[in-house]
Amino acid sequence: MDLLEYQAKELFREIGIPVLPSQRIDDSRNLKRLQIPYPVVLKSQVRAGGRGRAGGIRFVENTIDAIAAARTIFNLSILGEYPQLLLAEARYDAEQEFFLAVVLDYKLQRPVLLGSSRGGMEGEVVLKQMQKVVVEDEFSPFYARRLALGMGLQGSQLQAVSTTTEKMYQLMLEKDLNSVEINPLGINANGEVMALDGKVQLNDSALGRHDDLISLVASSRGTEGQRGTGANKPTHLLRTWAPGHLCTETSAPGHLGTSAQKPPHLGTWAPSHSSDSPSQPRRLDWRDKQGNVGIISNDVDLALASWDLLSQEKGKLARCLVVAEEIPGNLLLTPSVTEQIGQALEQLLEVPETKVVLVNILCSPGAAQAVAEAIAEYLKPQQEETSAQGGEERQLSPTGTALRSPKERSSRSRSSRSSSSPKAEPQFVIRLVGGELDSVKERLVTMPVHWTDNLEEAVTQTVSLAWTK
Amino acid sequence: MDWTPESKVLVQGINEPLASHYAAEMKAYGTNVVAGVCAGWGGEHLHEIPVFDLVEQALEEVGEVDVSLIFANPYWALDAALEAIAAGIARIILISSGVPPLDMVRLVKKAQATGTLVLGPGSAGIIVPDTILLGTVSPQYYSAGTVGLISRMNCPTYEVALALTQAGLGQSIAIHLGTGGIAGSNFERWLQILEKDKTTEAIILIGQPGSSNEETAASYIATAINKPVIAYLPGIHAPVGQRLEDATAIVAANLSVPAPDTSTAKQKIAAFEKAKVTVAKRPSQIPDLVTKALKKK
Repeated sequence: MDLLEYQAKELFREIGIPVLPSQRIDDSRNLKRLQIPYPVVLKSQVRAGGRGRAGGIRFVENTIDAIAAARTIFNLSILGEYPQLLLAEARYDAEQEFFLAVVLDYKLQRPVLLGSSRGGMEGEVVLKQMQKVVVEDEFSPFYARRLALGMGLQGSQLQAVSTTTEKMYQLMLEKDLNSVEINPLGINANGEVMALDGKVQLNDSALGRHDDLISLVASSRGTEGQRGTGANKPTHLLRTWAPGHLCTETSAPGHLGTSAQKPPHLGTWAPSHSSDSPSQPRRLDWRDKQGNVGIISNDVDLALASWDLLSQEKGKLARCLVVAEEIPGNLLLTPSVTEQIGQALEQLLEVPETKVVLVNILCSPGAAQAVAEAIAEYLKPQQEETSAQGGEERQLSPTGTALRSPKERSSRSRSSRSSSSPKAEPQFVIRLVGGELDSVKERLVTMPVHWTDNLEEAVTQTVSLAWTK
Repeated sequence: MDWTPESKVLVQGINEPLASHYAAEMKAYGTNVVAGVCAGWGGEHLHEIPVFDLVEQALEEVGEVDVSLIFANPYWALDAALEAIAAGIARIILISSGVPPLDMVRLVKKAQATGTLVLGPGSAGIIVPDTILLGTVSPQYYSAGTVGLISRMNCPTYEVALALTQAGLGQSIAIHLGTGGIAGSNFERWLQILEKDKTTEAIILIGQPGSSNEETAASYIATAINKPVIAYLPGIHAPVGQRLEDATAIVAANLSVPAPDTSTAKQKIAAFEKAKVTVAKRPSQIPDLVTKALKKK
């Protein structure tokens, strides 16, 4: 996740990288109380690149101009993103502008220092002069000096740039960051440096052990909330780690999962904890244009393999959900899993275009049976719930009872699927391996449900149903 | 790599519910789980496995172990791995997923210095069908045989194993490299191991569509592997985005400049073809490709 410029600069200030005096503006009227002397620069706080060229940065000389400029910037979307905040910053007379970055290189499995003597907005120019130093072993300042020298710097500039690079590296290490970038790093006539812009990318999997970063991110979210937009919901925060789950803090052997110790965490299933922090199906952002197939799987890679096969047969994905991800390997039978399957089906049917739902769950035979039951529970032809004993009878044979379609169920519930839509009922293709599924199949015999134990057959069937008018 | 049912296995973080569950599964499969480690639990037993406070205490009691499986909280996985390395354990499987990448950078450096083999993070482990189960692999899709699997994917590996098993082609071993961005060991390391492995006659490489590791593996195969290799890259036909891995490509993207050398699906397939590796489009093709490749030999 990327921080906004003002958040990045807060981190710079903490670690001792020079930044200009600045003030956050969440409403153009607040410019009347500006503490920084004019002239100032107003900068749109968006994550999208290219804001300068798009008009998101303006220089102003007085309050009247500032208010007008701020109004314009607040109403200017940059690649679809509106700012919730502006940063008002003192102006700086840079003699030269450099580019500096510290990035974790996944290919080399090492942090890398990058620097260009041509900083600024002309990306190609910046890249052409780019120097790279791989931090092979434990970091020491000579790596930073090697970079500065490579950039062609000497004297006080060499010192100032390498000191800044060192601090950027220190920041990356301390806060578990993916990357720290300063572009431009201004350098004035006296050889003093100033971080004029900053980009910091957090690492989602490490965020849980940095309370300060969580509150830094949350503080901006609060402001966004007040302005009534939900563009950047912190959903990933919910899925991150809670720190400090030391094994010494848990209960005694034989009482696994029954302790009051919170919280259960990623990579772990915790049966007794499932009630107080229920797991949710994860919605992936995959989709094809004009997609009409929904996929549910119990593994993100398996979902991807299913989409791959679907694409090869010219099927189009509308939405994809992963259930029970917290349990690697064989699916374990927890109430949460059953619940998640129902939720996932519901979420797929919320997409009005969904014509076929493909459920591809690879698990032990016992779990397969439970999954089938969960699906049946969601889809089952239901009795009219008129009589008092209806609840009990629902467990028995539904033969001869009034049927209610999944769509009607869905529209009756909170979901938005429209019951007035005249389109055909969605079809279901269920791929499960093993397990005694006959009784479930029989119960759903009147429903548009197709069963198979073979993935490729399931995909072929899905595509042919999706293309049927 | 000589895995036998007698190979001694340590489980670190055995208090984690997942570890406890899979320790029992492994024992049921016949794996020799000799000890567990969890600070504060020393002296207890779990599924009749003795638990120790420290790795070195466990080793004093049970002797050297062949492998340690780490199930610890991802924020403690680095510490657990360093503890295992300090105790002289030569192979580590990191089951924990979500280990922060900078922790992995430290671990990878350490492991390179000590010659420790690290699998993971986010690895499902290793299975040698009918011999040993190490980790969270689901054994029901596997049967013993001569096809080796090396995988960066989780469940699609089961699809391949299932297709092979149904076609009567058993497997010599299946290795899960894990899904983490920075992995303790790569395809090359394990290709080398399987090239030497006497049981393995053909190798199947199951790769991720969005990463560049597969291309590196392809050029390694071209130079160093004589056994037939078949690749399966589930997701390569789906329009998923590329993961930026190279530092220059990452900053180029920030500068809104098209990244110079991101690997496309086509490039990836071409790299394998250049190395004379057939890329299977679907799991059901794999048994035939294996049979053909073995006949050619």
